[in-house]
Amino acid sequence: MTTPIDLGLPTPGTAGVPTLAEGQQLTGKDFTSDQEVRWCPGCGDYAVLKAVQGFLPQLGLRRENIVFVSGIGCSSRFPYYLDTYGMHSIHGRAPAIATGIATAREDLSVWVVTGDGDALSIGGNHLIHALRRNVNMTILLFNNRIYGLTKGQYSPTSEAGKVTKSTPMGSVDQPLNPVSLALGAEATFVARTIDSDRKHLTSVLSAAAAHRGTALVEIYQNCPIFNDGAFDAIKDRDRKADAIIPLEHGEQIRFGPPGEDGRGSKALVRDEVTGGVRAAFAADVPDEAILVHDAHNPDPSTAFAISRLTDTGYLNQSPIGIFRQVVRPTYDDQVREQAGPRRGLDDLQALIDGGDVWTVEEDR
Amino acid sequence: MTYVIAQPCVDLKDRTCVDECPVDCIYEGERMLYIQPDECVDCGACEPVCPAEAIFFEDDVPDEWADYTQANADFFAKLGSPGGAGKVGKVADDPQWIKDLPPQEHD
Amino acid sequence: MTLTPEKPIKQVERVIIRFAGDSGDGMQLTGDRFTQQTAIFGNDLATFPSFPAEIRSPQGTIPGVSSFQVHFASRDILTPGDHPDVLVAMNPAALKANVSDLRAGAVIIADTHEFTARNLTKAGYDHNPLEDDSLADFQVHPVDLTGMTIEAVKDFSLTRKEATRSKNMFALGLVSWLYGRPVEPTIDHLTRKFAGKPNVRDANIAAFKAGVNFGETAEVFAVSYEVKPAPVPKGRYRNITGNLALSYGIVAAGRLADLPVFLGAYPITPASDILHELSKHKDFGVTTFQAEDEIAAIGAALGASYAGHLGITSTSGPGMSLKSEAVGLAVMLELPLVVVDVQRGGPSTGLPTKTEQADLLQAMFGRNGEAPLPVIAPQSPADCFDAALEAVRIAVTFRTPVVLLSDGYLANGSEPWRLPDVTSLPRIEPGFATGPNHKLDDGDEDFLPYLRDAETLARPWAPPGKAGLEHRIGGLEKSDGTGNISYDPANHEHMVRVRQAKVDRVAETVPDLQVDDPSGRARLLVIGWGSTYGPIGAGVRRVRQRGFDVAQVHLRHLNPFPRNLGEILARYDKVVVPEMNLGQLALLLRAKYLIDAESRTNVRGTPFGAEEMEGILLAALTDLGIADASDNPIDARVAEEALR
Repeated sequence: MTTPIDLGLPTPGTAGVPTLAEGQQLTGKDFTSDQEVRWCPGCGDYAVLKAVQGFLPQLGLRRENIVFVSGIGCSSRFPYYLDTYGMHSIHGRAPAIATGIATAREDLSVWVVTGDGDALSIGGNHLIHALRRNVNMTILLFNNRIYGLTKGQYSPTSEAGKVTKSTPMGSVDQPLNPVSLALGAEATFVARTIDSDRKHLTSVLSAAAAHRGTALVEIYQNCPIFNDGAFDAIKDRDRKADAIIPLEHGEQIRFGPPGEDGRGSKALVRDEVTGGVRAAFAADVPDEAILVHDAHNPDPSTAFAISRLTDTGYLNQSPIGIFRQVVRPTYDDQVREQAGPRRGLDDLQALIDGGDVWTVEEDR
Repeated sequence: MTYVIAQPCVDLKDRTCVDECPVDCIYEGERMLYIQPDECVDCGACEPVCPAEAIFFEDDVPDEWADYTQANADFFAKLGSPGGAGKVGKVADDPQWIKDLPPQEHD
Repeated sequence: MTLTPEKPIKQVERVIIRFAGDSGDGMQLTGDRFTQQTAIFGNDLATFPSFPAEIRSPQGTIPGVSSFQVHFASRDILTPGDHPDVLVAMNPAALKANVSDLRAGAVIIADTHEFTARNLTKAGYDHNPLEDDSLADFQVHPVDLTGMTIEAVKDFSLTRKEATRSKNMFALGLVSWLYGRPVEPTIDHLTRKFAGKPNVRDANIAAFKAGVNFGETAEVFAVSYEVKPAPVPKGRYRNITGNLALSYGIVAAGRLADLPVFLGAYPITPASDILHELSKHKDFGVTTFQAEDEIAAIGAALGASYAGHLGITSTSGPGMSLKSEAVGLAVMLELPLVVVDVQRGGPSTGLPTKTEQADLLQAMFGRNGEAPLPVIAPQSPADCFDAALEAVRIAVTFRTPVVLLSDGYLANGSEPWRLPDVTSLPRIEPGFATGPNHKLDDGDEDFLPYLRDAETLARPWAPPGKAGLEHRIGGLEKSDGTGNISYDPANHEHMVRVRQAKVDRVAETVPDLQVDDPSGRARLLVIGWGSTYGPIGAGVRRVRQRGFDVAQVHLRHLNPFPRNLGEILARYDKVVVPEMNLGQLALLLRAKYLIDAESRTNVRGTPFGAEEMEGILLAALTDLGIADASDNPIDARVAEEALR
């Protein structure tokens, strides 16, 4: 691998990927394929696609060195709409396939597009192992809290009690929280963002691409057909101040309608009873008690505690932003480091001639 | 590519499309509504809900209303890309030729 | 030095020895060392290790017995042999589990130290068989192997437990003397292996030498035997197991194709050795990925293939089942991929350490939809090398997944391998796409990922990194040429047929089958595939020695079949198909060629015996009116064996 000079800074996620020539600049249009986009009108996937197409040129990478891999589900059509290399694979397996690609080729920027069913149900195993290995790739997890492509069954992130075609009396499954899961799976980069907030989405994508290792980005994505309004609370102008707990590294975690200081009137503080974190009115607690978000903390405990503030039922409250961003050697870099200089046919002869060899001098 | 609002919206401004738009990119002018072309994600949610059939995919804008494609862009010359119509409210940035249109009657 | 005992030496043509003991007694190592000595001495040989699925079954019990059989001869041989001439039994359970395979007159060397009341009970003996007349048909040598080992190593300050561990080396020394094996290779091996543990090294060497000396001096062994080297073509040889040969084949294929190799694997018996071996060869451009499961293993391998590496995944039956969907994706993506299935007894978890050939139909058809792929099988341990090269050649040339069907017998069995000159092996041409392959009406050029080679019908292989060739592929049906998603009925019909046609075209690159029919007068054809090659060959040889004509042909290519197979089958009055399953190849032959191929099968987890095969062939000749029933060698015991 091309080892960057060690300045004590983390190696960028895109190190080793060829960049565009000086002065060359691509646009979103360059990343748009000739295929007609076939999501339902109003689908959040459009917004994410547009944001990604708008964002990719910012990386300055050669288009031919970018690969998108997806599984099965509505969001997994994504690669067809991007004019990069791409593979629309089978249900749940995209992280495994991407692991092979990323391990084989350090000169590729590898992206996985998946959904809550694809990544958390049928492909849950691959997701957690990709995260713990820290393979250099970015996983965009489109969470619409429903199965869309199969026409509306409840998903692993659907709230308990959800009435769907397969749960006419209400789901009795406990949903899981992708961010909590990822933090538990030793992930080095975990973030959450929203389909309709292009600015935030783009900033998270940018940080994820810069991260060397597996970056998991959960994107709340509205399904207007089977789960419309699932994220209304965090999109509604009047409610979102209370609903979104914004996470900014190095900043106090404040939310809610502006208080006297012009910042959120609510804040996160340590919960002395549970050891977790809880919301409080900023005015009721000393300033130094308000949690300052530290995404770089090697210990994921606080990030996990913050992730637990996500509603498991109908979403009225959710922390949004980068929960965790730490440096750890990647699986693929380490694999490449173990590979010695390439040996040829002479060495191959020596290899198979190894062991206890005997020679028969004449035909006998 | 983007969606474009055309003549049938003038002096109507039904606003059903605004509620439907998942990215809040339909802005209100004095005479009509406008789609921010950079913010539009081409999802097509607005087009079928417009009671006046005023919204078209860019390629499908009828020839007679071809100028509206540019009007939708021109409306944002000053405004730019605010990232959401809700917080902007009504803006009197309609292109001059839209402002000059005679009052339109609707059923 | 070869031992030159002072006792009389008797010449014999071939010998079968079985070392049997508890799983912890080191029988596999003992057998392996004896095999190495024998290989270096120049005998032809075949081996058959057999061990329980459990790492350590309860000590002293029959399920815990592990054995290693080696057959060696002064002529070429094809199987590990049916009936041991010598059984080394390290405890009562080992005796009990193996004695029924012995013929009258066989030698039994038993470690008396282990024939305690408790161990006898565990093995199910009411009386000590060494002390009653139940073994009267055999030459029994009760020897205190353990006691003499402890005595031999007493100077090396080992605990008693450590000391007794060397008893397998004592046994090896004794048997080495008995058959005039060279001892230096074993002493060298022990010196190397235990270089870091001098007292263990010295104890093992001392025990080994003590065993040799005991044979030389003990009066019970009146005679030793000599098996002269076998006639072989000149060359350099080594002994090799199927899994090692297969691993080397993959490393070699990577170098011959100038492609980095990516193995995705999940540990599974009996395929794990391939993962272990390939993990050592990073400097040959081999990357190994121990995946979280079988699906991820093939997924990552397929991803690597997409990225321009040679993707390989290795597994056994249960893993094959899990990989099915991804194999189907590989068929659809039309990317090179080799899926190695080291078959074991099934279904489900089945018999992990026993052999079977029952995954053929799964390899052929075990996917949803019409998902054809080439299937090939090695016929002997050393042949696994060539079969791996062939699998890679087909996969790369035709941009297709290929299933390589080895089995537990080939995987762990060994034979001498005449080392190839790797520089003379044919190169494999990856032929990556280099640029646009299509002209548009307006004169512009573009790249169509599913535009096919006219000869092979293979599509271009265009790994990421090449500007202008950006393309999307996936599991959905696609238009031929562009690769764009297509649900058009006529296109689907076309694509299903073209994928089949591509696989069929592999046959164009496969040489015609050669039938072994020396007299040209045979009316009976025996056809097999995979590891039955040895037993079928041995059976054929026996039948011919009786003066009968029988033709033999063996398949490496199971899909597509070689072009002249139908014509061959039609030439014979009777076709029998021995397989370690319930007739899977026979089913394919009957379906494809409308001939009355007759199944002869066993599924007991062990290969056919030479004698059993002889019986099968004689019975078939009897049906034809060529042999008569009195020729049939199947006595009651063999019949029982077949039912076991």
